[in-house]
Amino acid sequence: MNNPHHMNPRSLKSRFTTRFLRALTKIRAQKPISSSSPTEIFRRYRKIKVAADKSMAYSVRSRKTWSRAMLWKLRSRSHRRRPVKTKFRQSVMKNTKTTTTTGEDGVGFGVEASELRELVPGGEAMDLCNLLDETAHYIKCLTTQVQVMKKIADFYSL
Amino acid sequence: MLHRLESLESCTYDGMDMTTRLKRKQQYYVVQNNNPVELCASSLPQFQGLIGNNLGSGQMVELKRPEDFLGTDDFQEFVNLPVAGPEFGYSEKLDLAPPEAAADYCISWTSSCQITTLNTAVMKEEREDMILEKMESTTGSGRASFNKRKAEAVADHKRNKGEGEGESEVKTKCSTEISRNSSKENSKASEVQKPDYIHVRARRGQATDSHSLAERARREKISKKMKCLQDLVPGCNKITGKAGMLDEIINYVQSLQRQVEFLSMKIAALNSSVELSVENLPMKEFPAYVANFPAAAKLPEMAGLPCFELNPLQKESVKCMLNESMHPPQTEGIASASVSISEQSLSSSSMTQLQPFSTWNMDPQGLYNMYNMGFH
Repeated sequence: MNNPHHMNPRSLKSRFTTRFLRALTKIRAQKPISSSSPTEIFRRYRKIKVAADKSMAYSVRSRKTWSRAMLWKLRSRSHRRRPVKTKFRQSVMKNTKTTTTTGEDGVGFGVEASELRELVPGGEAMDLCNLLDETAHYIKCLTTQVQVMKKIADFYSL
Repeated sequence: MLHRLESLESCTYDGMDMTTRLKRKQQYYVVQNNNPVELCASSLPQFQGLIGNNLGSGQMVELKRPEDFLGTDDFQEFVNLPVAGPEFGYSEKLDLAPPEAAADYCISWTSSCQITTLNTAVMKEEREDMILEKMESTTGSGRASFNKRKAEAVADHKRNKGEGEGESEVKTKCSTEISRNSSKENSKASEVQKPDYIHVRARRGQATDSHSLAERARREKISKKMKCLQDLVPGCNKITGKAGMLDEIINYVQSLQRQVEFLSMKIAALNSSVELSVENLPMKEFPAYVANFPAAAKLPEMAGLPCFELNPLQKESVKCMLNESMHPPQTEGIASASVSISEQSLSSSSMTQLQPFSTWNMDPQGLYNMYNMGFH
């Protein structure tokens, strides 16, 4: 039967949801569920958080600078001791439209802009104009992520 | 004085009729820099006549003043003003916002051909203001500006009398000065004199060099984006100002990130507490999900899982499978696939079995509906 509230399979929400659920099942499959010590929980939390970020970044692919930066960060974390890091960073930087990040673009933007750069992944290499674009998309994706995870948590807690 | 004002008004009206002729003349003006005033003047024969006729005795009194300044720089400045006129021909968009510079009076004469009639009223008022100003001001600049206008009239007069040669030399000599003066004069006037290739309308009181224009364009882009962000971030409508907005955005992003962390922690905690998890995978994703597993090929019949409803016996068997898979799996591929698939099937069944889920009694389809509806 056709659900009237059929979710768009191509939307960001559905893409993220499927990826995230897959990752969750993988995480649960890896370790026995019975253990509930704080360290285990903490480890699981880290994994889940990484899975959430990863699934979000993969849903966006390379269309946005912040997703590229996040993917690079995740990859470099997994290949921690590889010397490929510098090459990756250069390629990531090349993809981003690097311009001198001077705070002179507008009056009084310097402090807040630098803070925003720290928050948004890959924000250091963006000029203010692109930074605002990326921030808007990042906010949209974060809200999606929070919505989906809330639903999952609600289902779990019930 | 009023009489003169009226006369000048009438002059402007007549000047408006010359628009096309003036345009053509101004093109020539650019090529030949010899006698700019001549060109200007020749293109306005009627104008001259009007000046000559309408400028009454009162006018004559003030016409004497420029002669006093013949040898001075002021007069040279004044004489060169008409030179600036033809330059207007270059800028396609002549934004003649009410300029306050003294030269604007002459500029308005020559540029009147290019501006629409809408501006003429503005120009008229400007001229009147200028005249009033200059009449009252006793400063040198005011005098010079006033004299500039008068000197042009004088120049016209003199040319009529056949004395243009001497003046043309003075004019050409002062042609360089006029550029200096224009740069020194208000930036408001400069927008008229410098050719702008970007064709941005510069507003009153704003510099028009390329750097400031580019900066202004960039600033407008940024303000546009800030407005978009304002729509995204809740509760930003009341806040005005970029700094406050940015602070709000930063706070919102931080809160969202913290929420993600908190929720992942919650899921991790709940994961450990609940033995059998509830998987809310959309039903149509099941085939794709199954296909991802390496052992999917070995279990083609599993693709049919989503469509069936587990009877109690099947649930029991699946449960056993799950328990078995808890131990180290013998065959990795099949075990992992079976674990995952059994989890999914079990999840749908566990809804009915486990106490917390006893109230649900949902089949997989119902689960899917629930999942979808939860998002709307």
